[in-house]
Amino acid sequence: MRKKLSELAFGETGVVTEILASGRELNCMGLRKGKGLKMVTKQPIKGPVVVLIGEVEIAMGIRMAEQVTVETG
Amino acid sequence: MQRLRGVRPVKLTTNERWDLVDAIAERTVTVGTYRQTIGDILGELTVKPATGIPVAVAVLYAFWSIFGSFAGTLVTDGFMVRLFDDHWLPWLQAAWPGPDSLLYYLAVGDPLAETCFEAFGMLTSGLFVAIGVVLPAVLIFYLMMTLLEDSGYLPRLAVLMDTVLHRIGLHGYAIIPAILGLGCNVPAVTATRILETRKQRFMMMTLLAIFIPCGAQLGVMRDVIPDLVGPVMLYLICGFGIFGFVLDRIIPGENPEILIDVPPYHWPAWENVARKLWTRTKGFLKEAVPFVLFGVLLVNLLYLAGVIGALADLFEPLFVTWFGVPKETVGPLIAAFLRKDLAVAQLSTIAMTPYQMITSVVLISIYFPCVATFVMMLREGWKQMLAAVGVLFAVVFVYGGLIHAAGILMGVA
Amino acid sequence: MNEPIDTGTTVLMVGNPNVGKSALFNRLTGANAVVSNYPGTTVDYTEGTLIEAHRTCTIIDVPGTYSLTPRDAAEEVAVRLLGEYPGAVVLLVLDATRIERGLYLALEVIERGVPCIIALNMTDAAHDKHISVDAAEMERVLGIPVIETTAISGEGVKQLAGMIRNAKAADISAISGRLNGDGAAEEMVALRSGCSGCGVCGR
Repeated sequence: MRKKLSELAFGETGVVTEILASGRELNCMGLRKGKGLKMVTKQPIKGPVVVLIGEVEIAMGIRMAEQVTVETG
Repeated sequence: MQRLRGVRPVKLTTNERWDLVDAIAERTVTVGTYRQTIGDILGELTVKPATGIPVAVAVLYAFWSIFGSFAGTLVTDGFMVRLFDDHWLPWLQAAWPGPDSLLYYLAVGDPLAETCFEAFGMLTSGLFVAIGVVLPAVLIFYLMMTLLEDSGYLPRLAVLMDTVLHRIGLHGYAIIPAILGLGCNVPAVTATRILETRKQRFMMMTLLAIFIPCGAQLGVMRDVIPDLVGPVMLYLICGFGIFGFVLDRIIPGENPEILIDVPPYHWPAWENVARKLWTRTKGFLKEAVPFVLFGVLLVNLLYLAGVIGALADLFEPLFVTWFGVPKETVGPLIAAFLRKDLAVAQLSTIAMTPYQMITSVVLISIYFPCVATFVMMLREGWKQMLAAVGVLFAVVFVYGGLIHAAGILMGVA
Repeated sequence: MNEPIDTGTTVLMVGNPNVGKSALFNRLTGANAVVSNYPGTTVDYTEGTLIEAHRTCTIIDVPGTYSLTPRDAAEEVAVRLLGEYPGAVVLLVLDATRIERGLYLALEVIERGVPCIIALNMTDAAHDKHISVDAAEMERVLGIPVIETTAISGEGVKQLAGMIRNAKAADISAISGRLNGDGAAEEMVALRSGCSGCGVCGR
């Protein structure tokens, strides 16, 4: 199933299928098309999300997470 | 043998470069099965809101209570106060010739003083503030800060704080200059460079210079007005929030979201901790001690020349009517430009009500940054610095009045 | 034989944030740059001196950056320094646990045609995480020296210091060539001045 990265639940995993233009800088942090990732935590009231990609944990704002589409399951 | 030096530059597209990266990584990297370590579990617990927020509160509380009990109770009250008040001061008062001379006044101060705070000479109050109160405070502060830095906790704190700080136009990573600033504002000003846009850097630099008290000032506050530190900090944090919110609305520019690495936890290497502690403490001794001594000297000279009296009369309406503090606080405000710790120590010898004390300590904090911070701000650009000073005067005027008004409403001012 | 890089060379230490550049810098120069465990500790550059085999070179600890398209003011410092020292050797510091993003920046620098050398740092942490990086293979593919280091304990630092003068510029098309398997033997360059006679370079 396809959903936005921001919609992943705690601990849910997925594979990145698309990153919209404004999320390009995520590339340099290791988040790229075809990479698997896992949602570590989401902060309440539209706070940032933390995801694990490979061995790397990165934190990003919720709007940036909305730019990323992932395939789950 | 052919040398490859001076190869023609090429420019790949982002995708080509990533393809190449993937190809190289595929050739050279093998990832084995990975077991979670205690560090990873701790890492998750400290960044998840349900567990992370209580942990953050506990960490900051522990930070403050260790700061207070070690620096304040153990070293300053237990040792330094006795050393300075019972031995150094009486000895100096007896040994220094000519209690009526100018030199005596500048070096020792009041010949009848019973504590080093009251004497206000370079070698009495100056040395006591610098060595007796502030040195233990910054030492323990830097030790704890170094442990926080080296363990990898700060980025997690940044993630937790982002929710709040993003609402006022900064992002969570602004916590790094803020925490560094609680030690000393000087390196904190440079640390604002980790923020992405000019707007964010300007906002943080201004808010930092205005609302973040440095470790030296905290040390003196904990020592001379222990019961009032809470309200003072509350006013400073509220001010940070209110004026951050206002600046965010006024200043044009972008407000990008946080995007940071969250590094794994490490045990701090003791070698590195010791090295940093030494560098920072040495920096303090070299920079701060001369400034404190010079500050005492300058304030005494200005008193003698009648400058402070004249300024106090001039600003009396502003101080008494608008801020609701005694006009004598003008002296400490002058000292505050050199060292805020000195200014707070000086305030403690002026008679006033607790609420006036809170107001005047807050004023000292938010008024002009100390000389060293000022110079650092100048290095980041004089236009920004001038703008920051403009904001600063507006904030002092408005917030000082607000605090006074709040006091009147609460019936304590 | 490779002629050594001139004495008085400037070495720029470039890499992603929080890969241990400052720790390595302190090891190489005996300086006192601030080292912490969060990205963005170094926001300004620090200079130090390395004396190795009677040669003196200036080493500059550059703030970490993810790419040469800067995002913040600290990253701008990094890009500016690369422009200010066009003749400098670039010591690329890669975190062995996060190799891909390090390689991305490394390629950006290599594309500029400047002499480079790679320090594969945090090999201890990589080992703990069961990640293994084949330094020799990376050296072969990229055509620039790759040295494994652990800056925290100082492992590999001496060897790195000795290899700085063997830094070299690499050719991107040759790199892709070697990756595609058509890397002919004569393309191989002996990277170490003290050739152990492995035979690849035909000597």
